[in-house]
Amino acid sequence: MSRFRKLTISVLIAVMVISLAACGGKKESSSAGGDTSQFVTISFVVLGDKPKNGQFEKVMEKVNAIMKEKINAELQWKWVEWADWQTKYNLLLASGEPVDLVTIGTDWLDTWSNAQRGAFLPLDDLLPKYAPQTWKEIPQEDWAQSKYNGKIVLIPENDYTQWINHGFFYRGDWAKQAGITEPIKDWNTIGKYLQWIKDNKPDVIPYDVQASTSNFGGWVQSYTPHLELPISTGYMPIFNTESYDDRYKVVSPVFEDTFLDFAKMMKDWADKGYWREDVLNNKNDARNALRAGQNGMDSHHTQTFSGLRVQMDKDQPGSELMMYPFSRTSNNLLEMPITHGGVSLGAHSKNPERALMAYDLIRNNKEIYQLINYGMEGVQYDIKDGKRVLPANYNETNDSFYSDFWAGRMDKFEIPSDTTWDKIDTMYKEYDKIKKPYPYGQFVFDKTAIESELTAISQVTGEMGPAISYGKAGDPTQAVQEYRDKLKLAGYDKVMAELQRQLDAYKAQMDSTANK
Amino acid sequence: MDIRNERDLIGGNTPRPARIRTDYTEIIMSWFGYIFIGLFAISCLLPFLLILGTSFTSEEAVKKFGFNIWPHEFSTFAYQIVFENPKLIIGSYLVTMGITIVGTVVGLFIVAMTGYALQRPDFTYRNKISFFIYFTTLFSGGLVPFYLLITQYLDLKDSYLAVLLPGLLTPFLIIMMKSFVRSIPHAITESAKIDGAGDFTIFLRLILPMTTPALATIGLFIALGYWNEWYNAMLFLSPDMDYRPLQLFLYNVVTSADFIRNSAASSNVAMSDVPLETMKMATAVVATGPVILFYPFVQRYFIKGITVGAVKG
Repeated sequence: MSRFRKLTISVLIAVMVISLAACGGKKESSSAGGDTSQFVTISFVVLGDKPKNGQFEKVMEKVNAIMKEKINAELQWKWVEWADWQTKYNLLLASGEPVDLVTIGTDWLDTWSNAQRGAFLPLDDLLPKYAPQTWKEIPQEDWAQSKYNGKIVLIPENDYTQWINHGFFYRGDWAKQAGITEPIKDWNTIGKYLQWIKDNKPDVIPYDVQASTSNFGGWVQSYTPHLELPISTGYMPIFNTESYDDRYKVVSPVFEDTFLDFAKMMKDWADKGYWREDVLNNKNDARNALRAGQNGMDSHHTQTFSGLRVQMDKDQPGSELMMYPFSRTSNNLLEMPITHGGVSLGAHSKNPERALMAYDLIRNNKEIYQLINYGMEGVQYDIKDGKRVLPANYNETNDSFYSDFWAGRMDKFEIPSDTTWDKIDTMYKEYDKIKKPYPYGQFVFDKTAIESELTAISQVTGEMGPAISYGKAGDPTQAVQEYRDKLKLAGYDKVMAELQRQLDAYKAQMDSTANK
Repeated sequence: MDIRNERDLIGGNTPRPARIRTDYTEIIMSWFGYIFIGLFAISCLLPFLLILGTSFTSEEAVKKFGFNIWPHEFSTFAYQIVFENPKLIIGSYLVTMGITIVGTVVGLFIVAMTGYALQRPDFTYRNKISFFIYFTTLFSGGLVPFYLLITQYLDLKDSYLAVLLPGLLTPFLIIMMKSFVRSIPHAITESAKIDGAGDFTIFLRLILPMTTPALATIGLFIALGYWNEWYNAMLFLSPDMDYRPLQLFLYNVVTSADFIRNSAASSNVAMSDVPLETMKMATAVVATGPVILFYPFVQRYFIKGITVGAVKG
């Protein structure tokens, strides 16, 4: 068999050699040991579309000048574009290409299954020697979350505040006129706010929403102690766990009264005309409509709110945009996993030592960090009152810069921007009081056994979910029953059992490490 | 054997007989046929007209009135955005055209040669090799081995050959070619041999001219394949290349919010005005444009090319 394969390959190569003249050259070979006498190129796999205006190259030139001086190496970005990025990213890792630094994310980039396939280099021995500062600053419990099979396979993004806690954005000025003086704490008050708009602002659609996004996850967060599992079931979450205290027990909010209550309230909102009659086909952008003063509410996460608040203050002065985070009702809020972003070393890296040195610099050298994250002062930004502002002659097409670096951002080097709300800290403080650590950071979900059932379930949620979520499915009790029947048919029970089995195994694993 | 001759025998060239009374069923049948085929043709054309119409509509009108064949408010804004950076799109066009032309010519030649060789009765291993080719249609290696072959063994990453080579030989087209060539009597090959022609001369001078319908059909298939190809390009041609095939370029235009944002900013419009819906339609029109011109040239060979081999095989 292998002889046969070799034969095929050599025949192909023979064909190739004839026609192959303009093929790229080979890369330089690796350096020996930990010394930095030999100049090397370190590749860094990032996700995003390569910027085309030349600014990125200019910035990297500056970064690499410092890199050369300090560790005799240069960084080279390797872009994985958004076109079918999942396939491309995983193929890149599976192919055994000698990439050095790799952007990872346990909750969105299949990091654990890639680790399982041996795509990453174990870092335990290398870190203290070649990335000493990083090694020292990341606490041991965070390193513990970065282990696969007892070996550190990634460096987490543990020192960066980012909140993707979702919620409704509403206008403070209108809420006040509606007699709502306190910050909104529940969905009923939201209803009251929308009703006021309906009664008093004839040109405004209270909630000009597109049915393609579901608020059911938010409802669950508001009215149950359920935790969301890192498992996608399409349009809306079907499988959660009971609560933080009972975090290994799978439950389904859709099969509880929670869902029926939600369906009833949404039917009520739809009947009262809080959104368009043709909401299921609505293509209007809620955020733009809000900014134009034609919409009273939008929903997304905290980071988005922080930017939108500033824009709204410009577009609709006095609008006092507020956010009702879904967690406020029940204090049910999980931290982001610290491994949502991070960096690993490719298993076939030719210069692992130098790659770690480079990473240590990106993370801990202020100049390099700010170059990579913000570009050049005077071109991409100026500093005014301690905040980043756009320079006077800034031109978006020619001067814009991004590096899609999400693999080790640090709060200490971040420069606040005039496009984020300066009082966002108040929200962060509110969150910090109630947040619970993310319990599923090391949960390696294996969906091979239930792949087809999961697909079928996603199909059902996509098919019936929007109509129920926006009160367009007729009688809620009946619609919910039909929805549950279809989910059962799609293999709900099998997925539930398999998830429970895997979570039991995960519990055993967590218990055993806790007892050590 | 040409179909025209067969029609001659039936009486195509004999003077038309005096009009015979046709009975009603025949009239109804032909009317029914016209109406049915006419409706079918319209239903094929409609979606394309819808795309064309929408691409020339303003985004506002699309939001208000939905998709329409006739634009409510005429606007070429979507095209302005797509052609924001003409250098890039022209480069992509040239790359795609280059790959399509080279790929079609070389692919056609190789497929024809393979098809011909595989049906020659005096070619001893024809069944074994045929099996080897068919086998790959049943069991493919899968994506990862394919990726490894191209990037590791052949080292074709960031080379246009990575897009060109995989499309050259398609088992299905070889089967089609083979059954078509089979309709050419082996005696022709033998008599040419007796006259002293070599195998290659026979193929070039005798077989190729006799297979024009098949060549046109298969050529169209190959050309369409190359024209629409984006997946291999997406896998193997990284953004480090200056120009990549058109379909991949357009795909990126639609998926990449950054591109849209940048183009919007450079044309001094607010982000909210970026015509996403109409832009998708405009890219579709840009992508189909030239390929639609292929059809009229090869269409007359079409039916013959696909069926003759099968009927006589």
